[in-house]
Amino acid sequence: MPLTLLECDKPIPEREKHTYIKKSGESIVPACNVQTTPGDLTERGCTYAGCMGVVGGPVKDVIHLVHGPIGCAFYTWGGGRRQNLSDNTEFHRKYCFSTSMQEANIIFGGEQKLHKAILEAYERFPDVNGVFVYATCVIGLIGDDINNVCKQASKEIGVPVIPFSCEGFRGVSQSLGHHIANDVIFERIVGTKEPDEVTPYDINIIGDYNIQGDLWIIAPLFEAMGLRILCTFTGNASIDDLAMAHRAKLNVMHCQRSTPYICQLMEEKYELPYMPVSLFGIEQTSKALRDVASFFGLEDKAEEVIESEVAKILPEIEYYKEQLRGKRVFIYQGAPRAWHWIKLMEELGMEVVGAATTFGHTDDYEKIIERIGDGALVIDNPNSVELREILIGYKPDLFISGLKEKFLAYKLGVPFVNGHSYERGPYAVYSGFLKFAKDIHTTINHPAWKLIEGRA
Amino acid sequence: MTQVTAKAKTETKTKTKAKVKRSVTINPGMICQPIGAMQAVLGVHGAISLVHGSQGCAAYPMRMFNRHFQEPVEIALSSLGEDAAVFGGADNLVKGVHALVARRQPELIAVLTTCLSETIGDDVNGILRKIDLPTTLVPVHTPSYIGSHVTGYDNAVKALVTHLAEQTGPNSKINIAVGLLNPGDIRELKNMLAAMRVKAIILTDISETLDAPLILPRPRFPDGGTTLAEIADTANSIGSIAMCKHAGGGAVTYLTNKHKVPMISGSCPIGVANTDAFIGNVSHLSGRPIPDELRKERGRLIDAMVDVQFKIAQKRVAIHADPDVASGMARFVHELGMEPTIVATGTESKEFVADVQAVASQTGHEIEIISGCDLYELHEAVKAVGVDLLMGNSQAKYIGDDEKIAFARIGFPVYDRVGYQRRAIIGYNGGINLMDLITNSILEHGDAS
Repeated sequence: MPLTLLECDKPIPEREKHTYIKKSGESIVPACNVQTTPGDLTERGCTYAGCMGVVGGPVKDVIHLVHGPIGCAFYTWGGGRRQNLSDNTEFHRKYCFSTSMQEANIIFGGEQKLHKAILEAYERFPDVNGVFVYATCVIGLIGDDINNVCKQASKEIGVPVIPFSCEGFRGVSQSLGHHIANDVIFERIVGTKEPDEVTPYDINIIGDYNIQGDLWIIAPLFEAMGLRILCTFTGNASIDDLAMAHRAKLNVMHCQRSTPYICQLMEEKYELPYMPVSLFGIEQTSKALRDVASFFGLEDKAEEVIESEVAKILPEIEYYKEQLRGKRVFIYQGAPRAWHWIKLMEELGMEVVGAATTFGHTDDYEKIIERIGDGALVIDNPNSVELREILIGYKPDLFISGLKEKFLAYKLGVPFVNGHSYERGPYAVYSGFLKFAKDIHTTINHPAWKLIEGRA
Repeated sequence: MTQVTAKAKTETKTKTKAKVKRSVTINPGMICQPIGAMQAVLGVHGAISLVHGSQGCAAYPMRMFNRHFQEPVEIALSSLGEDAAVFGGADNLVKGVHALVARRQPELIAVLTTCLSETIGDDVNGILRKIDLPTTLVPVHTPSYIGSHVTGYDNAVKALVTHLAEQTGPNSKINIAVGLLNPGDIRELKNMLAAMRVKAIILTDISETLDAPLILPRPRFPDGGTTLAEIADTANSIGSIAMCKHAGGGAVTYLTNKHKVPMISGSCPIGVANTDAFIGNVSHLSGRPIPDELRKERGRLIDAMVDVQFKIAQKRVAIHADPDVASGMARFVHELGMEPTIVATGTESKEFVADVQAVASQTGHEIEIISGCDLYELHEAVKAVGVDLLMGNSQAKYIGDDEKIAFARIGFPVYDRVGYQRRAIIGYNGGINLMDLITNSILEHGDAS
C-alpha cells in the first residue's frame, strides 16, 4: 500500500503526501519538514521553541533573556524538566527574563529597552557568566538590531551577551531553532576558552538535554570506561564547558536531529570527529558504548561496564518483556526518538504499529521506514484530528508521545507514556530503560482502564 | 508597576511609591492575551480558537492548559511563516478557516490575532467578512504586547457577545460572566444558582469542556459549554453580573450599552462578604429568595472558620493572583483573622488598586498593593515586610522555598499539585476549600520546620 489519505484528511488532500503505510520493497518517504497546513490543530512548536526551549535554555549559568512580549518568556519558564541540581540552585529553571515589549516599544523600537534590560538583569545576578538574548516574532518584524545591542552591552558588563535570531515565524517547526542555536553557539562560544588540561580520553556528549536527569545516568557509564566528559551539550552545560568543547577527542552525538549541525561544524574547524549513538535500550546503549570504546581502544572496559550494567537490569527486564510481549504501540516523537524507540519496543517484545514525528526530516523517515514492520503507519506531523482517528482506528495498547497529546490519549482510553518530558524518568541507558519498561507496564495494566464505561 | 501602601482609615494619605520601572521583567506575573482568549473560547460548545500567528502561539498555550486542567485542548493555527511575515497572512487565514471548517465542523471559530499578525497589519475583520461559510467567525484582537491573559479573556467574551447577542424577546434569565476561574468554580456557581432556582447564561462555561468525564466513545466536541444560542440570548436577559470585572466585565458592559441589560460588576465571590453580596445580587436581579440550603452552606463555612481560628489568626499573608481573584482573596484572609499584607497582581489596573484600598480602609489593615507586579518584585516585597504565608501560582513556589514560608497554590497555572482546578474557590463551599488549603499549608509548613 502506498501513500494513503486518512478519513479526516479527505478535505485536505495534500496530507496524503505525509501519510504512508509501509510496504517492504518500496522506498517511499513521506513529505516532511514543510510548513504546517493552515487551519491545522497542530502539535508543533516554533523556531523560538527549538532555539530557547530545547538547545539554549538548558545552559545553566547564563541569563536567558527573551526579547519580546511577555508570553514567549512565560511559556518557556522552567520548561522541559531539565535538571541541573548538581551545582547551582536551578538558576535557569527558577528565573525567567523578558523585555516584556509593550505597544509603544513595538512602534518606536525595542533596542533601548533591551539594552537597559540586559544591564538591569546582570546588575541583579552578577554571578552569571553570560546573557543569551532570544528574539521573538515581533522583534524580527520591527527590525531591532539585537546584534549591535548585545555587542554594546557585552562591553559594558564584561561577560558574553549572545543574540539568537530565532523568531517564531522563521522555518517550519522547532527544528530550525535547533539549527540556529547550534550555529550561534559554535560561532560565538565554542573555541573561546582553553581547558586547563586535556587528556587523551576527553569526550563531549552532544544532544542530550538532561530531561529528568538523563545525563546523571549516561555520564557515569562513559566515566566508568575511563573517559572524561568535557562538555554536555547543552543539558547541564555551563558557558565555559561550551567554550572549551573543541578540545575533546570525540563528539558523542545523541540527538541526531538537533545536533548534527554543531558536530559537523566542529569536525570541519577543529578536526574533531563525531559518532552518532543511541543511548536508549540495552542493545543500542551497548552498541554505543562499544563504538565509543573502540575509538579509544577501551574495548575491555566497555565489556566490563556493559556486563555489569546489563546484569543489574536483565532479570526485571525479562519479566516486563514477558508481560508486554505482543502489545501494540504507536510512537510519536520529536524526530530521532521515533526511530531509536522502534528498536526499544522490539526489545520489549512489542509491535510498533505506527510511528510519527513532529519535526523529522527525510533522513529520520528513512530510518523509521527501514526499521518499522510491514503494514505500519508512518505519518509526518500528525495533528490532533488525525491522532484521534489513528488511536480509534488502530487501538494501540500504548501511545508514546508528549504532554500535548497525553490527555487526548487518556480521553480515548489509550494507555500513554510521555516520551518527551517523561513520566518517571530518566529513561536513557540501562537503568532508564528499566524505568521506561516499568512505566509502560504500569500504564497498560492500570486498573482504571477496565472501569471506563463504553470501553470495548 | 504601581505600588501603593494602603493604610487603615487613612485612605486619603495613601502613598504611591515612586518606583522606577524596570526594563527587564523577572519572573512574569502575567501571560499574553491569546491564552486568556482561548480559555474563554474553550467554554463555548463546539467552538475552536484559530490563532493567526506562528506555531508557538498555539502550541505553548495548549501545553499550559494541559498542565493546569489535565485535559486535552484543541487550538488551530493559521501557520504564519516567513512568506506571511513579508506578504501578509490573508491567504493563510482564509485557507485555514476553510480547512478547519471542512475537517472539524466547529459551530464557531474565534480568530485570535497575535503580535505577529497585528504587527504585519493583517485586516482580520475585513478578511473574515469576505469568507462565506455557515460557521460563525468571530475576530478577537489579542496582540501580546498589550494587556495580559486577563484582558485577552475580556476581549474574547466581549467579542462573542458583540457578534452574537441579539434582542428577540425577554428570557427571564440572568447572565453571569465568570472570568478566569476553574471548572470547579463554575460547578459551584451552578450549584448556587440551582439552589436559588435561577436560570442563568454562563459566559463562558468551562465546567464540562475542561473537566470532561472519561466515558467512551468520546464525543467530537466535549459536552457542555455555553451554546451559541445562549450567547445570542444574553441580549434578552433580565440582568448581568460580572464575577470578575477585569475578565468578562467588558462583555456585560457591552450588553448594557447596546441592549440595555442591567449590570452588576461586583467583587469576585471569594469569602463570606463577597459571596453574600453576590447571592444578594443574584436574588435582586432574579427576584428569587435566598434558600435555606445556601444559609446552611454559609453556616458551615463560618463553623469551619471558627474551628481553625487559632491555627491561622494573625498570620501575615502575601497574595499574588489575577486582579479580581487577588482582591477577593484579600478580603477573605481578613475574614479568617489573618492579615493581608501584600496584595499583588501581574495585570496593571487602577481599579484593582482601588478595590484593595477599599478592603484596607474597611478592614483596618495596612496593605502593600502592587499592580503590574512580576514575581521578582513580589519576592523583594516579601523579603522587605515579612509574611507567614504566600499565595500564588506554581511559579511562585520558589519564593516560598527561598523565604521558608508557607505556600498555598492559587491562580493560573497550578501544575505541580493536583486538584486545584477541580475545587471551587468561590461561594461558601469554595471558602471552605480555600480555608482548608490555607490552614493545611500553614500546618504542613509548621510540621516541617
